[in-house]
Amino acid sequence: MIISGIGWISKKKYGCIKKGIRKDYTDVKSLCLKLQSESVFSYPVKSFGRFDVASKMACCAGALALYDAGVKYSKKYKQDIGIIGTNADGCLKSNLNYFKDYVQTGRKLARGNLFIYTLPSSPLAEASIHFGFQGPLLYIMFPQKQVPSLLQYAEGIISRREASTVLAMKVNEEKAVCFVLKEVAKTK
Amino acid sequence: MKHGKTDIHTLEPVVVACDLITPYGLGIDACWNGLLSGKTAINSLDRFDTGAFQTKKAATITELKTGQSDSLVMQMLKPLLKKASAVIPKDTLLILATTTGEIDILEKHVLSGKGNASESAPGYLLEKVQYASGIKLPGIIVSAACTSSSSAIAQAGAMIRSKECDCVLIVACDIVSEFVFAGFSSLMALDKDTARPFDKNRSGLSLGEAAGFILLMDEKRAFREKRDIIGEIAGWGLTNDANHMTGPSRDGKPLTSAIHKALSSAGMHENAVGCIAAHGTGTVYNDAMEMKALKSVFGSRAVPTYSIKGGIGHTMGAAGLVEIIVALRSLREKFVPPTVNLRIADDEAEGWVSTKTGTFDNPVTISINAGFGGVNSALVLKKWDKQQL
Repeated sequence: MIISGIGWISKKKYGCIKKGIRKDYTDVKSLCLKLQSESVFSYPVKSFGRFDVASKMACCAGALALYDAGVKYSKKYKQDIGIIGTNADGCLKSNLNYFKDYVQTGRKLARGNLFIYTLPSSPLAEASIHFGFQGPLLYIMFPQKQVPSLLQYAEGIISRREASTVLAMKVNEEKAVCFVLKEVAKTK
Repeated sequence: MKHGKTDIHTLEPVVVACDLITPYGLGIDACWNGLLSGKTAINSLDRFDTGAFQTKKAATITELKTGQSDSLVMQMLKPLLKKASAVIPKDTLLILATTTGEIDILEKHVLSGKGNASESAPGYLLEKVQYASGIKLPGIIVSAACTSSSSAIAQAGAMIRSKECDCVLIVACDIVSEFVFAGFSSLMALDKDTARPFDKNRSGLSLGEAAGFILLMDEKRAFREKRDIIGEIAGWGLTNDANHMTGPSRDGKPLTSAIHKALSSAGMHENAVGCIAAHGTGTVYNDAMEMKALKSVFGSRAVPTYSIKGGIGHTMGAAGLVEIIVALRSLREKFVPPTVNLRIADDEAEGWVSTKTGTFDNPVTISINAGFGGVNSALVLKKWDKQQL
């Protein structure tokens, strides 16, 4: 198993490790536009504006990692690539956004578009839809050492042949890091 | 031989203990007998005001009370885990599967300002479950919408087969909350009355709540410890539609792929399958997608198929685990439970589903689930055959 690409986003900067990219950005919406103009995204992200912040970060970090790894993707030609993700608190902020909105509007009608992000796996699902990845999709929370545990888990998925390539990300509303892990072709 | 292994009889994950609580009551017998009775546990809901929603009905566990020191999921889990702690080895890996966990803590905070919303985060629940089960190792949480617990069991099976561990406890839980109820209602996903899986006139799902656990071991350890073996998790497959956040892929191909992966993982041909424990939510699109996938795999052979969601509602993250426990009971009894609330089978499901109990010959069941974000899971379950050892 090798890590073939890493993308990262902090509060003000984003980048790729292999390609040595390190740039500034102001907000996640402008980040998406920058990544499109720099061809990091192969095509525009549909409905990016309605995503919750964690989903926006997941898509941007995923695109950076895939760009770093040189992995091509397409909505039309879907691939058996897995996506796993972790963080410290599931989707707590999205849960609060959704339920506070529902209560503030009189507990009569919830907003479906906020509700769909009340699953820890939702940001990964948005990423899978954009990239066309049809392998296993799992949110996994590790109580300790999240990034090493995440990488070890992704390695397990590959070694058990559940997927030959895995996008593994730690993502929340403020920062994200995403790794592309893939099987190494065996030579004689 | 599976996956190139030669010693398959020592590495296969087998179920050595399981239990659950559902709207039919505490224990597997209560759930099994409830399903066989053909009566639904979906009823009028009084936990919160449903006046503004699509329906007033859900399948709840009446003994659960809000405003207690324990959250609703811990009220379900504590008695189950207390009873089971004696049979759970201390070196077990714990996997907790849930979608919203202790969401009632967050509700309370937002509605009354009391408590701390951050304590609704899943890590807190994991600690409580670890303590209640007496396990020493820190566990993990697996969340994949309504495939959370079936995905967790698939992952546990894969870890056991690949020798990463030899004993895994999978705990699953989800509750009917105002949080979730209002959300599903806003998506117009609920049946106004009670869910009617695979019915011609189905119009949505009913929410339900449940909790349960499955203790998985590799055969070798189970044999060494003289455990009663309830059944085998013989294969698994996980896929994703990569298509839509809330709607399933119309052609059912990704679920078809999950079923093929599960059969391949089990080293089985589709002709070996005797029964299908369907996801069967009762929504128009889910059930249609499932039938497309099933027909794509099994062709014209109408395999006995059932859904338990007309009985206990859609228990979300717990659904897969509950359905696997019921399927293992069904395998033991060689008895297909009826699809509760089915009246007139949809044309596509005609001959596959039934309002009556049935029998099946091959002691192999495929249990399938699907969920938001396009996730799909398929698990192959086998009746335990002592001849194997």
